[in-house]
Amino acid sequence: MGSAGGFLAYMEGIGEFWRGILTFIMENRQRIMEYTLNHFSLVLTVLALSLALWVSVGILISRNDKTANAVMGISNILFCIPSISLFGLFITIPYLGLGRRSAALALLLYAMMPLVRNVYKGIKSVDRYVLESGRGMGMSAAQILFHIQIPLAWPVVFAGIRVTVVLITGIATVATFIGERNLGRLIHHGLTRSNSQMIVAGALLVSLMALLLDFLMGLVEKKITSPGLRE
Amino acid sequence: MIELEGLTKHYPNSKKPAVDDFSLKMAEGETCVFVGPSGCGKTTILRMINRLVEPTSGSIRIDGKDVLSADQDQLRRNMGYVIQQIGLLPHRTVRDNVALVPRLLGWAEERTLKRVQELLGLVGLDPEETGGKYPHQLSGGQMQRVGVARAMAADPPIMLMDEPFGAVDPIVRSRLQDEFLQIQHSFNKTICFVTHDIDEAMKMGDKVAIINEGKLVQHGTPMEVLSQPAGPFVRNLLGEDRGVKLLDLTKCQDLMRRDEGLLQKLQGNPCTIGALQPVKAALEVMLRKDCDTVTVLRGDRAVGALTWQEIKGHIHGLSGEDHEL
Repeated sequence: MGSAGGFLAYMEGIGEFWRGILTFIMENRQRIMEYTLNHFSLVLTVLALSLALWVSVGILISRNDKTANAVMGISNILFCIPSISLFGLFITIPYLGLGRRSAALALLLYAMMPLVRNVYKGIKSVDRYVLESGRGMGMSAAQILFHIQIPLAWPVVFAGIRVTVVLITGIATVATFIGERNLGRLIHHGLTRSNSQMIVAGALLVSLMALLLDFLMGLVEKKITSPGLRE
Repeated sequence: MIELEGLTKHYPNSKKPAVDDFSLKMAEGETCVFVGPSGCGKTTILRMINRLVEPTSGSIRIDGKDVLSADQDQLRRNMGYVIQQIGLLPHRTVRDNVALVPRLLGWAEERTLKRVQELLGLVGLDPEETGGKYPHQLSGGQMQRVGVARAMAADPPIMLMDEPFGAVDPIVRSRLQDEFLQIQHSFNKTICFVTHDIDEAMKMGDKVAIINEGKLVQHGTPMEVLSQPAGPFVRNLLGEDRGVKLLDLTKCQDLMRRDEGLLQKLQGNPCTIGALQPVKAALEVMLRKDCDTVTVLRGDRAVGALTWQEIKGHIHGLSGEDHEL
């Protein structure tokens, strides 16, 4: 009997563990709801800001290769700074301080690398003969940008946006250390209390949020990308 | 009328100018083919006409108006532009591609769509079937047709075509050439046509401008160029079969003998050819059916005869004088 009984006991243990997580979530649903909403609003704020900022920057630098290299170099360096130290750095700056402003600014900087790079690459990947025929037909520079370059860059830009969303949803958890009351707090407190169910509950909810956002972005992408660009 | 005068283009990083003091006049309704080896500057000249390239010096006038001081975008909207790579917008349907310039010019939507239907039909595409497709769903030949339709959309008086049929296979190319000649016949646009293919130049051009190293080497009708090539470069470009090319340009009705007596004798001659066919086709009939005389027909009626002697004499008379190379 030994091994079969052991296996059953093991399975039961796992079942117990997950039931525990569910119970934990149910019992703390009010707090978890607050964390989730905070997390979500932080991610959305950063996403909106970074789209406005980094897409424009990506478009601007596509006009000048020298500037482009410099800007993308900076974005790479920023991306290499460990998030916890960047958060820590910002809270020492007056006006930013503890909380949302520092968190949003740090996440905004992390979003720079994937977004700027993909917008730049997307615009640069537009076939030169398509541009040439656009110019040859008398389209102005603005018309070429809005009617040719941006629509053709969409698939690549969107890949960047989806990476960014997943990335900032994940890094946002670290903002719990500078006073953001979000899902990172579950992980943080779980760690300090050696409560693995709490850690897993936090991680699980963060992943679900990332997957959901990625899925929604996928729907938008499909809606917005011309059928002519799908193989 | 397009007048190019002293046109020169000097690129910063090269010693020799790409285009060197180039002057040429193109009459209204004329197809002028720029032909020469790759790198000779023919595409640069074309791109200077719609100012995709700005000349270093010289002037371009269209109907007496200076092109270089005109508004670039307006200028280009009034010139059709077709390139070898076509450059259809991949995210737009065929219909929207063709509608591009009319929309830039602010035509009413109804007028634009009507024009698109008309043009797709003109270039031999079914507007209903093809209009809603995207470029990647088309064959190479179909894309070229859409490219031509798009360039003609706003009915520009001038068309600039840079190796427009260069990317398709020879059979499709020859069909597109024939169709385009048909279209040109009824619309009479002023066309600048760039190619490196001398046969295409002879076939498409009312006039041929032969270009080498940025300079105009010879300008004339295909017949003039073939019969009096200006120097070894042109002779070389035309190839060893200049005589045969001449026969391709001459119609049977222009060379045939209208001799009733001879026609009487030729009754029942199995070797026949249409009056509008090139003499080359008559030669082919002679070789294939092993005869020396071909009866020239207009419809069913014999209108003349073409003999081996006449064909020989024709080639000799036009090109036989320069055996030296």
